[in-house]
Amino acid sequence: MKFHRIKGLLWNYYYFSLNSLDRIFDVFYWPIVDILIWGFMTTYIKGISDFNIVNLILGGLILWVFLWRSSQDIVTYLLEHYWSRSLYHLFVTPVSSMEMITALAIMGIFRSMISFVVLSIFAYLFYQFNIFSVNPFHFMLFVSLLTLFAWGLGLLVSSLVFRWGSRIQVLAWSTIWILQPFSCVFYPLSTLPPWAMKIASLLPTTYVFEGLRASLTGEPVVYSQLLFAFILVIIFLMVVSLFLIKSIDSAKKKGSFAKPE
Amino acid sequence: MDTVIVKNLVKTFSTRNGKIKAVDDVSLSIRKGEIFGLLGVNGAGKSTLINILSGLMTPDSGKIFIFGKDFEKYEEEIKGRFNVATAYYALSHNLTVLQNLKVFAKLYGVRNAEQKINQLLEKFFIFNLRNLRVVTLSSGEKSRLVLVKALLNDPELLFLDECTVGLDPDMAELTREFLQEYNKRTKCTILFTSHYMEEVERICQRIAFMDEGKIVKIGNAKEIIKELEEQKVELHFSANIKKAEEILKELKISYTKEQNKILHFSILNQEKIIFPILEKFIHKNVPFDDLHLKKPTLEEYFIKKSREK
Repeated sequence: MKFHRIKGLLWNYYYFSLNSLDRIFDVFYWPIVDILIWGFMTTYIKGISDFNIVNLILGGLILWVFLWRSSQDIVTYLLEHYWSRSLYHLFVTPVSSMEMITALAIMGIFRSMISFVVLSIFAYLFYQFNIFSVNPFHFMLFVSLLTLFAWGLGLLVSSLVFRWGSRIQVLAWSTIWILQPFSCVFYPLSTLPPWAMKIASLLPTTYVFEGLRASLTGEPVVYSQLLFAFILVIIFLMVVSLFLIKSIDSAKKKGSFAKPE
Repeated sequence: MDTVIVKNLVKTFSTRNGKIKAVDDVSLSIRKGEIFGLLGVNGAGKSTLINILSGLMTPDSGKIFIFGKDFEKYEEEIKGRFNVATAYYALSHNLTVLQNLKVFAKLYGVRNAEQKINQLLEKFFIFNLRNLRVVTLSSGEKSRLVLVKALLNDPELLFLDECTVGLDPDMAELTREFLQEYNKRTKCTILFTSHYMEEVERICQRIAFMDEGKIVKIGNAKEIIKELEEQKVELHFSANIKKAEEILKELKISYTKEQNKILHFSILNQEKIIFPILEKFIHKNVPFDDLHLKKPTLEEYFIKKSREK
Protein backbone atom coordinates (compact mmCIF):
# COMPACT_ATOMS: atom_id res chain seq x y z
CA MET A 1 0.00 0.00 0.00
CA LYS A 2 1.27 3.45 -0.90
CA PHE A 3 0.21 6.48 1.13
CA HIS A 4 0.23 8.88 -1.84
CA ARG A 5 -2.37 6.73 -3.61
CA ILE A 6 -4.65 6.60 -0.56
CA LYS A 7 -4.20 10.38 -0.30
CA GLY A 8 -5.13 10.71 -3.98
CA LEU A 9 -8.32 8.71 -3.45
CA LEU A 10 -9.20 10.75 -0.35
CA TRP A 11 -8.84 13.93 -2.42
CA ASN A 12 -11.11 12.30 -5.02
CA TYR A 13 -13.77 11.64 -2.36
CA TYR A 14 -13.31 15.12 -0.93
CA TYR A 15 -13.96 16.61 -4.40
CA PHE A 16 -16.97 14.30 -4.85
CA SER A 17 -18.34 15.69 -1.55
CA LEU A 18 -17.46 19.29 -2.33
CA ASN A 19 -19.23 19.21 -5.70
CA SER A 20 -22.29 17.27 -4.61
CA LEU A 21 -25.11 18.65 -2.52
CA ASP A 22 -26.30 15.05 -1.95
CA ARG A 23 -23.08 14.12 -0.17
CA ILE A 24 -23.20 17.26 1.99
CA PHE A 25 -26.84 16.57 2.90
CA ASP A 26 -25.91 13.00 3.89
CA VAL A 27 -23.68 14.25 6.68
CA PHE A 28 -25.91 16.92 8.18
CA TYR A 29 -29.51 16.84 7.03
CA TRP A 30 -30.78 13.32 7.83
CA PRO A 31 -28.94 12.93 11.15
CA ILE A 32 -30.30 16.31 12.33
CA VAL A 33 -33.83 15.45 11.18
CA ASP A 34 -33.54 12.14 13.03
CA ILE A 35 -32.39 13.68 16.27
CA LEU A 36 -35.13 16.30 16.17
CA ILE A 37 -37.90 13.73 15.61
CA TRP A 38 -36.62 11.24 18.17
CA GLY A 39 -35.66 13.95 20.62
CA PHE A 40 -39.12 15.57 20.60
CA MET A 41 -40.84 12.18 20.74
CA THR A 42 -38.83 11.04 23.75
CA THR A 43 -39.36 14.37 25.46
CA TYR A 44 -43.10 13.75 25.02
CA ILE A 45 -42.84 10.17 26.37
CA LYS A 46 -40.79 11.44 29.30
CA GLY A 47 -43.67 13.79 30.10
CA ILE A 48 -46.21 10.97 30.37
CA SER A 49 -44.01 8.43 32.19
CA ASP A 50 -41.65 8.49 35.13
CA PHE A 51 -38.90 6.70 33.23
CA ASN A 52 -36.12 8.91 31.79
CA ILE A 53 -36.04 7.58 28.26
CA VAL A 54 -34.39 10.57 26.57
CA ASN A 55 -30.81 9.53 27.32
CA LEU A 56 -31.39 5.96 26.17
CA ILE A 57 -33.01 6.93 22.88
CA LEU A 58 -30.61 9.75 22.04
CA GLY A 59 -27.53 7.72 23.05
CA GLY A 60 -28.73 4.86 20.84
CA LEU A 61 -29.53 7.22 17.99
CA ILE A 62 -26.13 8.97 18.04
CA LEU A 63 -24.24 5.68 17.93
CA TRP A 64 -26.63 4.31 15.32
CA VAL A 65 -25.98 7.32 13.06
CA PHE A 66 -22.26 6.67 13.51
CA LEU A 67 -22.71 3.07 12.28
CA TRP A 68 -25.11 4.08 9.51
CA ARG A 69 -22.89 6.81 8.04
CA SER A 70 -19.67 4.78 8.25
CA SER A 71 -21.10 1.79 6.44
CA GLN A 72 -23.16 3.68 3.87
CA ASP A 73 -20.40 6.11 2.87
CA ILE A 74 -18.08 3.27 1.86
CA VAL A 75 -20.64 2.12 -0.70
CA THR A 76 -21.83 5.57 -1.72
CA TYR A 77 -18.35 6.70 -2.71
CA LEU A 78 -17.73 3.45 -4.54
CA LEU A 79 -21.00 4.06 -6.39
CA GLU A 80 -19.83 7.60 -7.21
CA HIS A 81 -17.11 5.93 -9.32
CA TYR A 82 -19.80 3.90 -11.12
CA TRP A 83 -22.09 6.90 -11.64
CA SER A 84 -19.29 9.01 -13.05
CA ARG A 85 -17.95 6.02 -15.02
CA SER A 86 -14.49 6.72 -13.63
CA LEU A 87 -13.71 3.12 -12.64
CA TYR A 88 -12.05 2.57 -16.02
CA HIS A 89 -9.43 5.24 -15.41
CA LEU A 90 -9.08 4.32 -11.73
CA PHE A 91 -8.37 0.66 -12.36
CA VAL A 92 -5.67 1.33 -14.97
CA THR A 93 -3.69 3.21 -12.31
CA PRO A 94 -1.54 1.26 -9.84
CA VAL A 95 -4.25 1.70 -7.15
CA SER A 96 -4.89 -1.63 -5.44
CA SER A 97 -8.24 -2.80 -4.11
CA MET A 98 -6.84 -2.57 -0.57
CA GLU A 99 -5.84 1.07 -1.06
CA MET A 100 -9.28 1.85 -2.42
CA ILE A 101 -11.03 0.13 0.49
CA THR A 102 -8.74 1.87 3.01
CA ALA A 103 -9.50 5.26 1.50
CA LEU A 104 -13.25 4.51 1.49
CA ALA A 105 -13.09 3.40 5.13
CA ILE A 106 -11.15 6.52 6.20
CA MET A 107 -13.64 8.72 4.36
CA GLY A 108 -16.54 6.86 6.01
CA ILE A 109 -15.05 7.37 9.47
CA PHE A 110 -14.26 11.01 8.80
CA ARG A 111 -17.81 11.77 7.65
CA SER A 112 -19.43 9.80 10.46
CA MET A 113 -17.27 11.74 12.93
CA ILE A 114 -18.70 14.97 11.51
CA SER A 115 -22.25 13.62 11.86
CA PHE A 116 -21.41 12.41 15.36
CA VAL A 117 -20.10 15.81 16.47
CA VAL A 118 -23.09 17.63 14.94
CA LEU A 119 -25.55 15.24 16.61
CA SER A 120 -23.78 15.43 19.96
CA ILE A 121 -23.97 19.23 19.89
CA PHE A 122 -27.65 19.17 18.88
CA ALA A 123 -28.50 16.57 21.56
CA TYR A 124 -26.78 18.71 24.19
CA LEU A 125 -28.30 22.01 23.09
CA PHE A 126 -31.88 20.79 22.58
CA TYR A 127 -32.24 18.00 25.15
CA GLN A 128 -29.29 18.52 27.53
CA PHE A 129 -28.03 15.04 26.72
CA ASN A 130 -24.26 14.62 26.90
CA ILE A 131 -23.07 11.50 25.05
CA PHE A 132 -19.70 11.91 26.75
CA SER A 133 -21.35 11.15 30.08
CA VAL A 134 -20.87 7.51 29.06
CA ASN A 135 -17.80 5.95 30.66
CA PRO A 136 -14.95 6.89 28.22
CA PHE A 137 -13.56 3.33 28.18
CA HIS A 138 -16.99 1.91 27.37
CA PHE A 139 -17.54 4.63 24.82
CA MET A 140 -14.29 3.76 23.03
CA LEU A 141 -15.22 0.06 23.04
CA PHE A 142 -18.66 0.78 21.56
CA VAL A 143 -17.31 3.10 18.87
CA SER A 144 -14.50 0.68 17.91
CA LEU A 145 -16.92 -2.24 17.57
CA LEU A 146 -19.37 -0.18 15.54
CA THR A 147 -16.57 1.13 13.29
CA LEU A 148 -15.33 -2.38 12.52
CA PHE A 149 -18.86 -3.64 11.92
CA ALA A 150 -19.64 -0.63 9.70
CA TRP A 151 -16.55 -1.39 7.60
CA GLY A 152 -17.69 -5.01 7.31
CA LEU A 153 -21.16 -3.98 6.18
CA GLY A 154 -19.79 -1.41 3.77
CA LEU A 155 -17.41 -3.96 2.28
CA LEU A 156 -20.19 -6.54 2.00
CA VAL A 157 -22.40 -4.23 -0.04
CA SER A 158 -19.33 -3.03 -2.02
CA SER A 159 -18.60 -6.65 -2.90
CA LEU A 160 -22.15 -7.02 -4.20
CA VAL A 161 -21.74 -3.81 -6.24
CA PHE A 162 -18.45 -5.10 -7.71
CA ARG A 163 -20.19 -8.37 -8.58
CA TRP A 164 -23.44 -7.02 -10.02
CA GLY A 165 -22.72 -3.36 -10.69
CA SER A 166 -24.68 -0.27 -9.74
CA ARG A 167 -28.04 -1.88 -10.59
CA ILE A 168 -28.10 -3.18 -7.00
CA GLN A 169 -27.33 0.25 -5.58
CA VAL A 170 -30.56 0.18 -3.58
CA LEU A 171 -28.72 -2.10 -1.12
CA ALA A 172 -26.38 0.77 -0.28
CA TRP A 173 -29.25 2.58 1.41
CA SER A 174 -31.34 -0.32 2.62
CA THR A 175 -29.00 -2.95 4.08
CA ILE A 176 -28.31 -1.15 7.34
CA TRP A 177 -32.04 -0.65 8.03
CA ILE A 178 -32.70 -4.41 7.87
CA LEU A 179 -30.41 -4.73 10.87
CA GLN A 180 -31.90 -1.91 12.92
CA PRO A 181 -34.93 -3.77 14.34
CA PHE A 182 -32.70 -6.65 15.45
CA SER A 183 -29.87 -4.47 16.79
CA CYS A 184 -31.94 -3.32 19.78
CA VAL A 185 -30.93 0.30 19.26
CA PHE A 186 -33.85 1.80 21.20
CA TYR A 187 -35.12 -1.14 23.28
CA PRO A 188 -33.59 -4.04 25.23
CA LEU A 189 -33.03 -7.49 23.74
CA SER A 190 -35.65 -8.94 26.09
CA THR A 191 -38.34 -6.95 24.22
CA LEU A 192 -37.92 -9.08 21.09
CA PRO A 193 -39.93 -12.26 20.39
CA PRO A 194 -37.86 -15.50 20.61
CA TRP A 195 -37.33 -15.85 16.82
CA ALA A 196 -36.05 -12.25 16.55
CA MET A 197 -33.89 -12.74 19.65
CA LYS A 198 -32.03 -15.54 17.83
CA ILE A 199 -31.17 -13.18 14.97
CA ALA A 200 -30.29 -10.34 17.34
CA SER A 201 -27.90 -12.55 19.31
CA LEU A 202 -25.82 -13.01 16.15
CA LEU A 203 -25.40 -9.28 15.60
CA PRO A 204 -22.49 -7.50 17.31
CA THR A 205 -24.55 -4.31 17.32
CA THR A 206 -27.03 -5.85 19.79
CA TYR A 207 -24.28 -6.16 22.43
CA VAL A 208 -23.04 -2.63 21.79
CA PHE A 209 -26.49 -1.09 22.34
CA GLU A 210 -27.18 -3.36 25.35
CA GLY A 211 -23.84 -2.18 26.76
CA LEU A 212 -24.67 1.45 26.03
CA ARG A 213 -27.95 1.19 27.90
CA ALA A 214 -26.20 -0.43 30.85
CA SER A 215 -23.55 2.28 30.87
CA LEU A 216 -26.15 5.09 30.70
CA THR A 217 -28.28 3.64 33.53
CA GLY A 218 -25.28 2.90 35.73
CA GLU A 219 -25.65 -0.85 35.50
CA PRO A 220 -22.57 -3.08 34.99
CA VAL A 221 -21.51 -3.59 31.37
CA VAL A 222 -21.11 -7.30 30.54
CA TYR A 223 -17.60 -7.53 29.04
CA SER A 224 -18.01 -11.15 27.98
CA GLN A 225 -20.82 -10.00 25.67
CA LEU A 226 -18.61 -7.30 24.18
CA LEU A 227 -15.82 -9.85 23.70
CA PHE A 228 -18.30 -12.12 21.89
CA ALA A 229 -19.35 -9.15 19.74
CA PHE A 230 -15.69 -8.48 18.94
CA ILE A 231 -15.17 -12.12 17.85
CA LEU A 232 -18.31 -11.92 15.68
CA VAL A 233 -17.05 -8.72 14.04
CA ILE A 234 -13.62 -10.18 13.31
CA ILE A 235 -15.13 -13.32 11.74
CA PHE A 236 -17.52 -11.14 9.74
CA LEU A 237 -14.67 -8.92 8.51
CA MET A 238 -12.58 -11.93 7.47
CA VAL A 239 -15.43 -13.53 5.53
CA VAL A 240 -16.37 -10.23 3.89
CA SER A 241 -12.74 -9.52 2.91
CA LEU A 242 -12.53 -12.87 1.14
CA PHE A 243 -15.85 -12.21 -0.56
CA LEU A 244 -14.62 -8.78 -1.64
CA ILE A 245 -11.44 -10.20 -3.20
CA LYS A 246 -13.53 -12.83 -5.02
CA SER A 247 -15.97 -10.17 -6.21
CA ILE A 248 -13.20 -7.93 -7.62
CA ASP A 249 -11.70 -10.99 -9.36
CA SER A 250 -15.12 -11.79 -10.78
CA ALA A 251 -15.55 -8.18 -12.00
CA LYS A 252 -12.16 -8.36 -13.71
CA LYS A 253 -13.03 -11.69 -15.31
CA LYS A 254 -16.31 -10.29 -16.62
CA GLY A 255 -14.59 -7.07 -17.67
CA SER A 256 -17.07 -4.98 -15.68
CA PHE A 257 -14.62 -2.10 -15.18
CA ALA A 258 -14.24 -1.73 -18.93
CA LYS A 259 -17.92 -1.84 -19.83
CA PRO A 260 -20.31 1.06 -19.57
CA GLU A 261 -23.37 0.35 -17.43
CA MET B 1 14.14 -5.54 -25.77
CA ASP B 2 10.43 -5.81 -26.49
CA THR B 3 8.24 -3.65 -24.25
CA VAL B 4 5.17 -5.85 -24.57
CA ILE B 5 5.19 -9.61 -25.12
CA VAL B 6 1.88 -11.44 -25.32
CA LYS B 7 1.83 -15.22 -25.44
CA ASN B 8 -1.20 -17.31 -26.37
CA LEU B 9 -3.74 -14.95 -24.83
CA VAL B 10 -7.32 -16.21 -24.69
CA LYS B 11 -10.41 -14.41 -23.42
CA THR B 12 -13.90 -15.86 -23.70
CA PHE B 13 -17.18 -14.20 -22.78
CA SER B 14 -20.39 -16.05 -22.04
CA THR B 15 -23.40 -14.56 -23.77
CA ARG B 16 -27.01 -15.63 -24.18
CA ASN B 17 -26.06 -17.04 -27.57
CA GLY B 18 -23.20 -19.08 -26.17
CA LYS B 19 -19.51 -18.42 -25.67
CA ILE B 20 -17.62 -15.87 -27.73
CA LYS B 21 -13.86 -15.92 -28.04
CA ALA B 22 -13.03 -12.20 -27.97
CA VAL B 23 -9.30 -12.88 -27.95
CA ASP B 24 -8.28 -16.16 -29.52
CA ASP B 25 -4.74 -17.38 -28.91
CA VAL B 26 -3.11 -14.03 -29.58
CA SER B 27 0.67 -13.77 -29.48
CA LEU B 28 2.56 -10.63 -30.39
CA SER B 29 5.42 -8.45 -29.29
CA ILE B 30 5.79 -4.70 -29.44
CA ARG B 31 9.29 -3.29 -29.66
CA LYS B 32 10.61 -0.59 -27.38
CA GLY B 33 9.90 2.86 -28.81
CA GLU B 34 7.60 1.52 -31.48
CA ILE B 35 4.20 2.94 -32.44
CA PHE B 36 2.19 -0.18 -33.03
CA GLY B 37 -1.24 -0.04 -34.66
CA LEU B 38 -4.04 -2.43 -33.91
CA LEU B 39 -6.76 -2.58 -36.54
CA GLY B 40 -9.91 -4.56 -37.03
CA VAL B 41 -13.63 -4.20 -37.54
CA ASN B 42 -15.91 -3.55 -34.56
CA GLY B 43 -15.92 -6.61 -32.32
CA ALA B 44 -12.60 -7.90 -33.69
CA GLY B 45 -11.15 -7.96 -30.16
CA LYS B 46 -8.95 -4.83 -30.16
CA SER B 47 -10.47 -3.17 -27.10
CA THR B 48 -10.61 -6.46 -25.19
CA LEU B 49 -6.90 -6.96 -25.89
CA ILE B 50 -6.12 -3.41 -24.67
CA ASN B 51 -8.33 -3.91 -21.60
CA ILE B 52 -6.42 -7.08 -20.72
CA LEU B 53 -3.05 -5.43 -21.30
CA SER B 54 -4.02 -2.48 -19.10
CA GLY B 55 -5.18 -4.71 -16.24
CA LEU B 56 -8.91 -4.02 -16.46
CA MET B 57 -9.68 -7.60 -17.38
CA THR B 58 -8.09 -10.93 -16.59
CA PRO B 59 -7.48 -13.36 -19.45
CA ASP B 60 -8.66 -16.99 -19.35
CA SER B 61 -5.17 -18.14 -20.24
CA GLY B 62 -1.92 -16.86 -21.68
CA LYS B 63 0.95 -14.75 -20.45
CA ILE B 64 1.77 -11.04 -20.64
CA PHE B 65 5.20 -9.56 -20.09
CA ILE B 66 5.53 -5.79 -19.96
CA PHE B 67 8.93 -4.10 -19.52
CA GLY B 68 10.33 -7.64 -19.30
CA LYS B 69 8.25 -8.46 -16.21
CA ASP B 70 5.36 -10.85 -15.68
CA PHE B 71 2.26 -8.60 -15.63
CA GLU B 72 0.37 -10.91 -13.30
CA LYS B 73 3.10 -10.72 -10.65
CA TYR B 74 4.22 -7.10 -11.04
CA GLU B 75 0.91 -5.48 -12.02
CA GLU B 76 1.16 -2.60 -9.53
CA GLU B 77 4.72 -1.65 -10.50
CA ILE B 78 4.03 -1.98 -14.24
CA LYS B 79 0.82 0.07 -14.06
CA GLY B 80 2.78 2.99 -12.60
CA ARG B 81 4.88 3.08 -15.79
CA PHE B 82 2.12 3.00 -18.39
CA ASN B 83 -1.07 4.91 -19.04
CA VAL B 84 -4.24 4.61 -21.08
CA ALA B 85 -6.37 7.03 -23.09
CA THR B 86 -9.66 6.15 -24.66
CA ALA B 87 -12.34 8.22 -26.31
CA TYR B 88 -15.04 6.10 -24.71
CA TYR B 89 -14.49 6.97 -21.05
CA ALA B 90 -14.22 10.52 -19.78
CA LEU B 91 -12.85 11.38 -16.35
CA SER B 92 -15.25 11.88 -13.41
CA HIS B 93 -17.93 14.17 -14.77
CA ASN B 94 -18.79 15.76 -11.44
CA LEU B 95 -15.24 16.95 -10.86
CA THR B 96 -13.56 19.88 -12.58
CA VAL B 97 -10.74 19.39 -15.08
CA LEU B 98 -8.17 20.48 -12.50
CA GLN B 99 -9.64 18.38 -9.68
CA ASN B 100 -9.55 15.26 -11.86
CA LEU B 101 -5.95 15.84 -12.89
CA LYS B 102 -4.83 16.59 -9.32
CA VAL B 103 -6.33 13.27 -8.21
CA PHE B 104 -4.55 11.31 -10.95
CA ALA B 105 -1.28 13.17 -10.32
CA LYS B 106 -1.47 12.03 -6.69
CA LEU B 107 -2.37 8.45 -7.68
CA TYR B 108 0.71 8.31 -9.92
CA GLY B 109 2.90 10.16 -7.42
CA VAL B 110 3.74 12.90 -9.94
CA ARG B 111 6.30 15.45 -8.74
CA ASN B 112 5.70 19.15 -9.46
CA ALA B 113 2.16 18.13 -10.33
CA GLU B 114 0.72 21.59 -10.71
CA GLN B 115 3.42 22.70 -13.15
CA LYS B 116 3.08 19.48 -15.13
CA ILE B 117 -0.72 19.75 -15.28
CA ASN B 118 -0.57 23.35 -16.48
CA GLN B 119 2.01 22.52 -19.17
CA LEU B 120 -0.09 19.66 -20.54
CA LEU B 121 -3.32 21.65 -20.37
CA GLU B 122 -1.67 24.37 -22.42
CA LYS B 123 -0.24 21.84 -24.86
CA PHE B 124 -3.73 20.52 -25.57
CA PHE B 125 -5.37 23.97 -25.52
CA ILE B 126 -7.66 23.34 -22.55
CA PHE B 127 -5.93 25.45 -19.92
CA ASN B 128 -8.85 27.90 -19.92
CA LEU B 129 -11.23 25.03 -19.09
CA ARG B 130 -9.41 23.93 -15.95
CA ASN B 131 -12.09 25.11 -13.53
CA LEU B 132 -15.04 23.71 -15.48
CA ARG B 133 -16.74 20.47 -14.57
CA VAL B 134 -16.08 17.64 -17.00
CA VAL B 135 -19.81 17.23 -17.62
CA THR B 136 -19.88 20.65 -19.30
CA LEU B 137 -17.09 19.87 -21.80
CA SER B 138 -17.59 18.87 -25.44
CA SER B 139 -16.61 15.35 -26.50
CA GLY B 140 -13.44 16.69 -28.15
CA GLU B 141 -12.46 18.54 -24.98
CA LYS B 142 -13.08 15.41 -22.93
CA SER B 143 -10.84 13.41 -25.28
CA ARG B 144 -8.09 16.00 -24.88
CA LEU B 145 -8.47 15.87 -21.10
CA VAL B 146 -8.08 12.09 -21.14
CA LEU B 147 -4.91 12.52 -23.21
CA VAL B 148 -3.56 14.98 -20.65
CA LYS B 149 -4.30 12.45 -17.91
CA ALA B 150 -2.54 9.75 -19.93
CA LEU B 151 0.64 11.82 -20.15
CA LEU B 152 0.76 12.89 -16.48
CA ASN B 153 3.10 10.12 -15.32
CA ASP B 154 5.53 10.38 -18.29
CA PRO B 155 4.49 6.88 -19.41
CA GLU B 156 6.99 4.54 -21.01
CA LEU B 157 4.06 2.73 -22.62
CA LEU B 158 0.81 4.27 -23.83
CA PHE B 159 -2.36 2.46 -24.78
CA LEU B 160 -4.39 4.74 -27.01
CA ASP B 161 -7.80 3.33 -27.86
CA GLU B 162 -9.30 5.50 -30.60
CA CYS B 163 -8.02 8.55 -28.77
CA THR B 164 -8.59 10.94 -31.69
CA VAL B 165 -12.32 10.20 -31.95
CA GLY B 166 -14.33 13.37 -31.42
CA LEU B 167 -11.41 15.69 -32.14
CA ASP B 168 -11.76 18.21 -34.93
CA PRO B 169 -9.33 17.66 -37.86
CA ASP B 170 -6.95 20.37 -36.69
CA MET B 171 -6.81 19.07 -33.12
CA ALA B 172 -6.50 15.47 -34.35
CA GLU B 173 -3.52 16.53 -36.46
CA LEU B 174 -1.92 18.37 -33.54
CA THR B 175 -2.45 15.30 -31.36
CA ARG B 176 -0.80 13.01 -33.93
CA GLU B 177 2.12 15.41 -34.23
CA PHE B 178 2.44 15.57 -30.47
CA LEU B 179 2.37 11.79 -30.13
CA GLN B 180 5.02 11.34 -32.82
CA GLU B 181 7.20 13.98 -31.21
CA TYR B 182 6.67 12.45 -27.73
CA ASN B 183 7.50 9.00 -29.08
CA LYS B 184 10.68 10.32 -30.69
CA ARG B 185 11.75 12.31 -27.63
CA THR B 186 11.01 9.77 -24.91
CA LYS B 187 11.18 6.46 -26.81
CA CYS B 188 7.74 5.74 -25.37
CA THR B 189 6.12 2.65 -26.84
CA ILE B 190 2.60 3.27 -28.12
CA LEU B 191 -0.16 0.79 -28.85
CA PHE B 192 -2.62 2.65 -31.05
CA THR B 193 -6.06 1.71 -32.28
CA SER B 194 -8.07 3.85 -34.65
CA HIS B 195 -10.72 3.66 -37.30
CA TYR B 196 -8.90 6.30 -39.32
CA MET B 197 -6.68 4.20 -41.58
CA GLU B 198 -4.72 7.13 -42.92
CA GLU B 199 -3.80 8.05 -39.36
CA VAL B 200 -2.60 4.53 -38.60
CA GLU B 201 -0.71 4.26 -41.89
CA ARG B 202 1.03 7.54 -41.17
CA ILE B 203 2.12 7.17 -37.58
CA CYS B 204 2.44 3.42 -36.93
CA GLN B 205 5.67 1.63 -37.66
CA ARG B 206 3.96 -1.76 -37.56
CA ILE B 207 0.34 -2.79 -37.73
CA ALA B 208 -1.56 -5.86 -36.62
CA PHE B 209 -4.93 -6.79 -38.11
CA MET B 210 -7.36 -8.52 -35.79
CA ASP B 211 -10.32 -10.53 -36.93
CA GLU B 212 -12.63 -12.58 -34.73
CA GLY B 213 -10.17 -12.39 -31.86
CA LYS B 214 -7.18 -13.53 -33.90
CA ILE B 215 -4.26 -11.60 -35.30
CA VAL B 216 -4.43 -12.30 -39.01
CA LYS B 217 -1.61 -10.08 -40.22
CA ILE B 218 1.34 -8.20 -38.76
CA GLY B 219 3.74 -5.99 -40.65
CA ASN B 220 4.43 -2.42 -41.69
CA ALA B 221 1.88 -0.62 -43.83
CA LYS B 222 3.86 -1.13 -47.07
CA GLU B 223 4.18 -4.87 -46.52
CA ILE B 224 0.51 -5.20 -45.75
CA ILE B 225 -0.58 -3.13 -48.73
CA LYS B 226 1.67 -5.22 -50.99
CA GLU B 227 -0.74 -8.05 -50.35
CA LEU B 228 -3.33 -6.20 -52.39
CA GLU B 229 -2.85 -7.41 -55.95
CA GLU B 230 -3.97 -4.40 -57.93
CA GLN B 231 -3.27 -0.72 -58.30
CA LYS B 232 -5.69 1.49 -60.20
CA VAL B 233 -4.82 3.58 -63.25
CA GLU B 234 -6.74 6.51 -64.64
CA LEU B 235 -5.73 7.93 -68.08
CA HIS B 236 -7.22 11.19 -69.30
CA PHE B 237 -7.48 11.97 -73.04
CA SER B 238 -8.67 14.91 -75.07
CA ALA B 239 -8.63 12.88 -78.32
CA ASN B 240 -7.76 9.45 -79.75
CA ILE B 241 -9.58 7.54 -77.05
CA LYS B 242 -10.43 4.80 -79.57
CA LYS B 243 -6.76 4.22 -80.31
CA ALA B 244 -6.09 4.08 -76.60
CA GLU B 245 -8.82 1.48 -76.19
CA GLU B 246 -7.24 -0.60 -78.92
CA ILE B 247 -3.90 -0.57 -77.13
CA LEU B 248 -5.49 -1.79 -73.93
CA LYS B 249 -7.36 -4.52 -75.81
CA GLU B 250 -4.11 -5.53 -77.42
CA LEU B 251 -2.49 -5.79 -73.97
CA LYS B 252 -5.54 -7.78 -72.78
CA ILE B 253 -6.31 -5.23 -70.07
CA SER B 254 -9.97 -4.82 -69.24
CA TYR B 255 -11.07 -1.22 -68.69
CA THR B 256 -14.02 1.09 -68.19
CA LYS B 257 -14.74 4.39 -69.92
CA GLU B 258 -15.87 7.62 -68.36
CA GLN B 259 -17.44 10.39 -70.46
CA ASN B 260 -15.45 9.14 -73.51
CA LYS B 261 -12.43 10.95 -72.04
CA ILE B 262 -11.11 8.83 -69.19
CA LEU B 263 -10.07 5.19 -69.14
CA HIS B 264 -9.96 3.26 -65.86
CA PHE B 265 -8.08 0.00 -65.54
CA SER B 266 -6.14 -2.03 -62.99
CA ILE B 267 -2.62 -3.37 -63.16
CA LEU B 268 -0.65 -5.61 -60.85
CA ASN B 269 0.56 -4.02 -57.65
CA GLN B 270 4.24 -4.16 -58.57
CA GLU B 271 6.89 -1.49 -58.93
CA LYS B 272 7.40 0.03 -62.43
CA ILE B 273 4.78 -2.24 -64.03
CA ILE B 274 3.10 0.79 -65.60
CA PHE B 275 6.18 1.70 -67.69
CA PRO B 276 5.78 -0.81 -70.60
CA ILE B 277 2.11 0.18 -70.93
CA LEU B 278 2.94 3.86 -71.14
CA GLU B 279 5.73 3.14 -73.62
CA LYS B 280 3.16 1.48 -75.87
CA PHE B 281 1.02 4.62 -75.82
CA ILE B 282 4.02 6.81 -76.66
CA HIS B 283 5.28 4.38 -79.31
CA LYS B 284 1.88 4.33 -81.03
CA ASN B 285 1.66 8.09 -80.79
CA VAL B 286 -1.41 8.16 -78.56
CA PRO B 287 -0.85 11.10 -76.25
CA PHE B 288 -2.70 11.37 -72.95
CA ASP B 289 -3.30 14.54 -70.95
CA ASP B 290 -3.08 13.19 -67.46
CA LEU B 291 -2.24 10.04 -65.57
CA HIS B 292 -3.38 9.02 -62.07
CA LEU B 293 -1.80 5.98 -60.54
CA LYS B 294 -3.63 5.05 -57.38
CA LYS B 295 -1.61 2.75 -55.16
CA PRO B 296 -3.68 0.62 -52.79
CA THR B 297 -4.16 2.01 -49.29
CA LEU B 298 -4.50 0.48 -45.87
CA GLU B 299 -8.15 1.46 -45.98
CA GLU B 300 -8.65 -0.66 -49.12
CA TYR B 301 -6.89 -3.54 -47.41
CA PHE B 302 -9.14 -3.08 -44.38
CA ILE B 303 -12.29 -2.97 -46.51
CA LYS B 304 -11.18 -5.96 -48.57
CA LYS B 305 -10.46 -8.02 -45.46
CA SER B 306 -13.74 -6.99 -43.83
CA ARG B 307 -15.74 -7.92 -46.93
CA GLU B 308 -13.95 -11.22 -47.35
CA LYS B 309 -15.59 -12.22 -44.09
